[in-house]
Amino acid sequence: MSDATLTAESGRQTGTSASRRARHDRQLPGVVYGAGKDSIAITVDKKDFRLAMSTEAGINAVIDLQVDGGSDQVIVREVQRHPVRRDVIHVDFMRIDPTRPIELDVPLHLVGEAKKVTVNGGMTEQRLNRIRVRAAADRIPGKIEVDISEMTLERSLLVKDLNLPEGLVCLTSPQLAVVTAELTRAAVVARRAGDTEES
Amino acid sequence: MLMPRKVKHRKTHRGRTKGTAKGATSVSHGQYGIQAVEPGWITARQIEAARIAMTRHIKRGGKVWINVFPDKPVTQKPAETRMGSGKGNPERWVAVVRPGRVLFELSYPDDAIARAALNRAIQKLPIKAKIITREESF
Repeated sequence: MSDATLTAESGRQTGTSASRRARHDRQLPGVVYGAGKDSIAITVDKKDFRLAMSTEAGINAVIDLQVDGGSDQVIVREVQRHPVRRDVIHVDFMRIDPTRPIELDVPLHLVGEAKKVTVNGGMTEQRLNRIRVRAAADRIPGKIEVDISEMTLERSLLVKDLNLPEGLVCLTSPQLAVVTAELTRAAVVARRAGDTEES
Repeated sequence: MLMPRKVKHRKTHRGRTKGTAKGATSVSHGQYGIQAVEPGWITARQIEAARIAMTRHIKRGGKVWINVFPDKPVTQKPAETRMGSGKGNPERWVAVVRPGRVLFELSYPDDAIARAALNRAIQKLPIKAKIITREESF
């Protein structure tokens, strides 16, 4: 059921300098919590973590985390990055119960080309980049594809218009706009110029 | 140009720019962003020049967000003035920028044009900066 397996070492020293030393040794400091158990400070191998995040499930991958001989089903709850280098400096894993649904954010990916919008001098804009869903652990999608090929200038694509995979319950407001289509400022100016010439 | 409507104190100390940005270090509105790599002061004129360079390149399509605001006054004494007689007059407004700060964000459907527009904007800035995207790899 899990998308990847990660081996972690517990009992790491906490604090800035110890974490910095761990990162220097290509280890990634992290923490595991949730499911009513104690939280554990761990380290995982940077390369293994990158591989675990490179599956089709993306950041929402269900990981089989092996710590001290035991095994937990976890998801990545939060990733901290260096502000300039953008590499991962800390990761939070949350234990999940495979039998119970969990709530998490799923990224939205636009597919297709809104030709009816671009032909009329308009442009699409993605307003919402992720939605909150509730799903069973084995039904968490890595991303939700949003087809914008049928979009027109008159109507925005709302959360309620999304085709969600089976077993997903959307927790985001259904009235929120995911993608909007509007005339570009250049098109508005051109249309105004056309109107004044006609009159 | 951007400037505060009113301020509590007309003249401020220069201050120090140590460390990295505390917030606004990732793209939050658009799809692309310009991120500062080194610290510095960015004047209101430079912000405006970068904005114009970007919007002209995308031909007024797309959407631009400016994430920094020049709220710090910089004073200057007139030319050929003897030292002393107090601090100079406020001449321009600057935004204090630390490494990691996302200065501008852009939303545009075409990747190549968006990157070209951001590169033009970076040319107008007095500090080193790079382009970042919303989706980041591991």
